[in-house]
Amino acid sequence: MRTVLKVVDNSGAKKVMCIQALKGKKGARLGDTIIASVKEAMPNGKVKKGKVVYGVVVRAAMQRGRCDGSEVRFDDNAVVLVDKQGQPIGTRVFGPVPHELRQKKHVKILTLAEHIA
Amino acid sequence: MRLEKCWFCSSTVYPGHGIQFVRNDAKIFHFCRSKCHKNFKMKRNPRKVKWTKAYSRLHGKDMTQDSTFEFERKRNRPERYDRNLAENTLKAIKKIDKIRSDRASDHIKNKSFSRLKTGKVQRQKEARKQLELGIHLVKAPLALAQDSSLCLPKIKVNVSQAQTEENQPMEE
Repeated sequence: MRTVLKVVDNSGAKKVMCIQALKGKKGARLGDTIIASVKEAMPNGKVKKGKVVYGVVVRAAMQRGRCDGSEVRFDDNAVVLVDKQGQPIGTRVFGPVPHELRQKKHVKILTLAEHIA
Repeated sequence: MRLEKCWFCSSTVYPGHGIQFVRNDAKIFHFCRSKCHKNFKMKRNPRKVKWTKAYSRLHGKDMTQDSTFEFERKRNRPERYDRNLAENTLKAIKKIDKIRSDRASDHIKNKSFSRLKTGKVQRQKEARKQLELGIHLVKAPLALAQDSSLCLPKIKVNVSQAQTEENQPMEE
């Protein structure tokens, strides 16, 4: 709630603010889907300011445990905008993404990513 | 499962320990414990922090060049499982490890600037030998021959009646 996340695809938005975490009582973590409101957008993009969108958290500054016992954390909080079915709106993804997305079935984002952490 | 090296202190990170930090340029840093992680966040340079391996290797306190280091390198190709290969590798790891740690401890003991107690005798022997060989740099050979008191006590001087009068105090 109210967390401002960076948008790392080319859908047109720059910053979104989380308004609801779809799963989990304590909030969304790395790999979860959120509902967000676009706060800052590029002038001619697919999404405009004020639109309510879905997003997948691809980078989180909070560490998330992996099944081998290690923990990963990234440098910032970043999200990739998706539609209701989970398909990304943009066509490119910037920066590293975690391979936790594979388990969450966000394969399309993984294929677009330039580096998988 | 992979055993990583801590980016800060260079110790091995076993599974279940430590934190991996992924920077936005996709460089991954592994840390063995929060001590190293916190030092990293403080932007400390491990080469300047005394307790890290990076410091000791940089300042010659640890062995840096050895043929045993060639065996332990990061290989990204997965090997097909072969029981014999695995067995031989395990035996080799043990042996190489022993050789490497023996060589490393020898290196520490015999360091010329070491403040450790061990190796002191050897260093003194080396220093004495160097003094014998290089005494001509300290004092001209002609002066040495004339004034026997300048020589090291080890060199025997025939004490005869005529020579005792020549034992003058050292010129300085």
